[in-house]
Amino acid sequence: MTAPRVFFNFNITPDSHTLSAYQSRGGYQALAKALKEMQPLDVENEVKASGLRGRGGAGFAAGVKWSFVNKKSPVIYLCCNADEGEPGTYKDRWIFEHSPHQLIEGMVLASYALHVRHAVIYIRGEFDLPWRRLLEALKEAKEAGYLGENILGSGYSCDIIPHQGGGAYVCGEESSLISSMEGFKGYPKNKPPFPAVKGLYDAPTVINNVETLANVPWIISNGAAAYAEMGTEKNKGTKIFGVSGHVVNPHLLELELGYPLKKVIYEDCGGILGGKALKAVIPGGSSSPILKASEIETLTLDIESVAAAGSMLGSGAIIVIAEGTCMVRLLQVLTRFYAHESCGQCTPCREGTSWMNKIVTRISQGKGRKGDIESLESITKGIMGNTVCALGDAAAMPVVNFVKKYRDEFEYFIEHGRSMNDGRLEI
Amino acid sequence: MAVSKSEGAMIELKIDNQIVEVQEGETVLQVAQRTGIDIPSLCYHPCMSIAGNCRICLVQVNGRPKLMPACNLPVTPGMEIDTDSPPVREARRSVMQFISLNHPGDCGICDKAGECRLQEYHMKYGDYRPLSVEPKNHQPKFYNLSERIMLDNERCILCSRCVRFTREISKTSQLGIVERGSHSLVQRLDCASFDDPYSDNVIGTCPVGALLSRDFLYKSRVWYLETVRSTCTGCSRGCSVNVWRRNKHWYQRSEGAAKNQMAYRISPCENPEINGPWLCNKGFDLHKAMSRPRVLAPAIAGRDATIAEALSAAAHMLLDAKKPAAIVSAHASNEELAAFKVALGERVQVYTREDYQPAAGEVVEDDFLIKADKNPNSFQVRALFGDRPFDAGQKHDLVILWGDNLNYGSLGGARVIHLTSFESSQDRAADVLIPLSTTFERSGSFCNFEGKRNIFEKVFDKPTLVQHAGDVFGRL
Amino acid sequence: MSCLTDKFDQLASTYPPEMRSSLVLPLLHLMQKEKKHLSEGDAIFIANYLGVPAMQVKEALTWYTMLYRQPVGKHVIKICRTIACSLLGAERLINYLEAKLGIKAGETTADGLFTLIAVECLASCGTAPAMQINDTYHEQLTEAKIDQILKELS
Repeated sequence: MTAPRVFFNFNITPDSHTLSAYQSRGGYQALAKALKEMQPLDVENEVKASGLRGRGGAGFAAGVKWSFVNKKSPVIYLCCNADEGEPGTYKDRWIFEHSPHQLIEGMVLASYALHVRHAVIYIRGEFDLPWRRLLEALKEAKEAGYLGENILGSGYSCDIIPHQGGGAYVCGEESSLISSMEGFKGYPKNKPPFPAVKGLYDAPTVINNVETLANVPWIISNGAAAYAEMGTEKNKGTKIFGVSGHVVNPHLLELELGYPLKKVIYEDCGGILGGKALKAVIPGGSSSPILKASEIETLTLDIESVAAAGSMLGSGAIIVIAEGTCMVRLLQVLTRFYAHESCGQCTPCREGTSWMNKIVTRISQGKGRKGDIESLESITKGIMGNTVCALGDAAAMPVVNFVKKYRDEFEYFIEHGRSMNDGRLEI
Repeated sequence: MAVSKSEGAMIELKIDNQIVEVQEGETVLQVAQRTGIDIPSLCYHPCMSIAGNCRICLVQVNGRPKLMPACNLPVTPGMEIDTDSPPVREARRSVMQFISLNHPGDCGICDKAGECRLQEYHMKYGDYRPLSVEPKNHQPKFYNLSERIMLDNERCILCSRCVRFTREISKTSQLGIVERGSHSLVQRLDCASFDDPYSDNVIGTCPVGALLSRDFLYKSRVWYLETVRSTCTGCSRGCSVNVWRRNKHWYQRSEGAAKNQMAYRISPCENPEINGPWLCNKGFDLHKAMSRPRVLAPAIAGRDATIAEALSAAAHMLLDAKKPAAIVSAHASNEELAAFKVALGERVQVYTREDYQPAAGEVVEDDFLIKADKNPNSFQVRALFGDRPFDAGQKHDLVILWGDNLNYGSLGGARVIHLTSFESSQDRAADVLIPLSTTFERSGSFCNFEGKRNIFEKVFDKPTLVQHAGDVFGRL
Repeated sequence: MSCLTDKFDQLASTYPPEMRSSLVLPLLHLMQKEKKHLSEGDAIFIANYLGVPAMQVKEALTWYTMLYRQPVGKHVIKICRTIACSLLGAERLINYLEAKLGIKAGETTADGLFTLIAVECLASCGTAPAMQINDTYHEQLTEAKIDQILKELS
């Protein structure tokens, strides 16, 4: 990897996450520079010019999202979305565990640009070490004067409130996060209005992923142009990818956007377990359409290329599946997940995820019936585009694509009452 | 009392190829509802926040493939809406499949049949054949949410109208939706009752048969019934109500007169000036108030008499009296009060009263509908006669007592001509007792606490011997 | 309950006053730490403290999966069953735990020591299979590792 790194640019040691270690790496210099020499709008424009796009999965241009906020509003909130729940994704916890100050600095910079007084980090409730390291880092930052009143004597004040979730994947959806943050169940909200206009407690709110915000100090220090030199034309910079599944060495990699997927699997991660052939890859977390091995031959990891291949870059969670895996049982793992996580608010998702799960579970137990595949196809059509939030679509996509690309396995299971691959998930 | 639409510029848009003029700030569904364009809705209610969870109102916008819920779609200039394109029909079919997926199809034993939106939409927009072969989810079924309301969680479609009602309208927050996903269900707190004084409104807001009136349970199929507009007499707000009676084409001799001529239930009659679409539980019980034991026959000193005899006796007593008085009823209608004033206003000392005071445990007054004055027409009484509580010290020898809920003993030993609808327990018989009709048995009007006039129409014929007060005064 | 409200006060002071309603979930977590599992009465207690409707807190209590409404064992074992862990043997390890503890997922051992729950993605996909016991993550699990961990907890 020849491009400069934004994240993986130091050695992990027992205290590489502390304030002093971060400062010795040049930490908080971007903040000092911005507060001294830049106006809030300059920070926003720099982030816009860098081409930084959301790293949580939606890929929306961060600077553009910030520009939607009416900066004259009396109250504006910034929420860092640390609800990392997309199956396959484990990158944001690295930032909390090893470079929490990078996020804090990024958040204060973003808050400065957005005229935010109180920012929030909504972190999933299950996280233990990430939570503890975050609290330590916030304490250090406050004591060092990077948070609180009159930061570095600039006159700008900002506090970050750490807030734990309660165990709900849907709370990673921005309007669900807002509902949860307001003290309710995490029911997503209908849009319009959009959070940038009316969000947390009806104030304009920006919600950004952890990784997105943690990119900001580098952009301010090194400049938008340097950031835009990395990546592809439409998808700038680097991204942390997390590989999991049937590879020899699953781990996190920070890669320039546009890096070839096959290289990740076979070179960086040591190839497939047991030397088996590759069967399929889910490139961007379980909600992204599955790609057969034949479809990733020349695939590069950037938003446009993966979209052109019929899938999504998503959260950058690359799940590798080896030959011999039973796709019916694997789909059942996913339908079970979405049925469990559906919040229950809107009809198509509430009923549809449960229904799809019942059908796929039945098939995977050898009780499939003629017409089940057609039912699944019909259900996915009824869900997609018709729900309050994207969870419905996320639940339908795996069903659509597993059934489309591995129809023979489903037909076999229904006809014979057993798997074509001995029901194997582990190989 | 409907949510006020924001004042905005007028703009033009097309719905189903029809040009419509709309106001900025309206939603497509609001426009459709006021112009008579057919867009189905289940969770939408004009007085409550937009939930947007049922998804039956999805429409196509500017030909784009992603359908939008009309209830949350603000109008914009040049917008083109298609409410009946093939994608919209497909979406409605899907939504109906999903809503019905775990719905028990109890129509044969469900009171809501005939006024159920799910039935209506199923016939209009749904598939005939269910696609699912899965067993339906089971939920708590058909139990007492309170003494007044049955809840059947299996029938519930989780539109959240009842929850939003208690949260936003009656402000008790006594109902909520608990659990997640397909396990979600409407519930109250385990340790508390659903004793919201407006609880019965959820029966009407529920689009299906999940929330039902226990009082009305199994009494009649709704297609045998029709409504007559009346005014509640429970307090001085005078909410408009619908009294439900059997349509006379559906009378059955085998049911008997009582069943053919009874008020089956009360529901709110939408009146934007007075109560909006809401009613308090006392109003829902209006038919019970009207069914209290009645005075059905005239009597002289406790003996039955004909009406001619009774009126003649009363008229003589009035002539003989040296210091006659009358206490007018705050349950009297405007027309009756006018007739009284003409006939007797100058001949007797007129006193006024508020017939009923708040009962123990009754809500006295709140920020919503309930007023402390538990009588429907104090306003008009005050307008005609002022505020003049009865003075026993005046030693009247004859009192014409109009209305109930007053003991003769407090009349200072006077002779009593009692005109009343309902029986009351007294220590002695009235000198003359004249039975009166109720608001269900005649037409008329009241003036509510703000002076707003509200009408009631005749629902039933009065019992034979009972009199209309307005006919009586002239004969005294 | 007075020391509980002291703890509530302390946590509330870290939020700006206009965000009081946000305290619902944090207070539920705090109370669960004290009481191990929560009931409707606890939801009402929190609602009264915050001045929000009791139903709001009850809804939250029933909706978030980390909140328990039934008694749980001293150690709550939450083993991930989502995609990456399933590809690397979660099913095998869940069966192993069920056999070892003598209970099915969702149940508690008779001695009250362990509750076993199969949960969804814990974001340990690169170090799968994974589980969380109370707060602590245990990753790259094998039967032997599970044996060792449980032995230390017994």
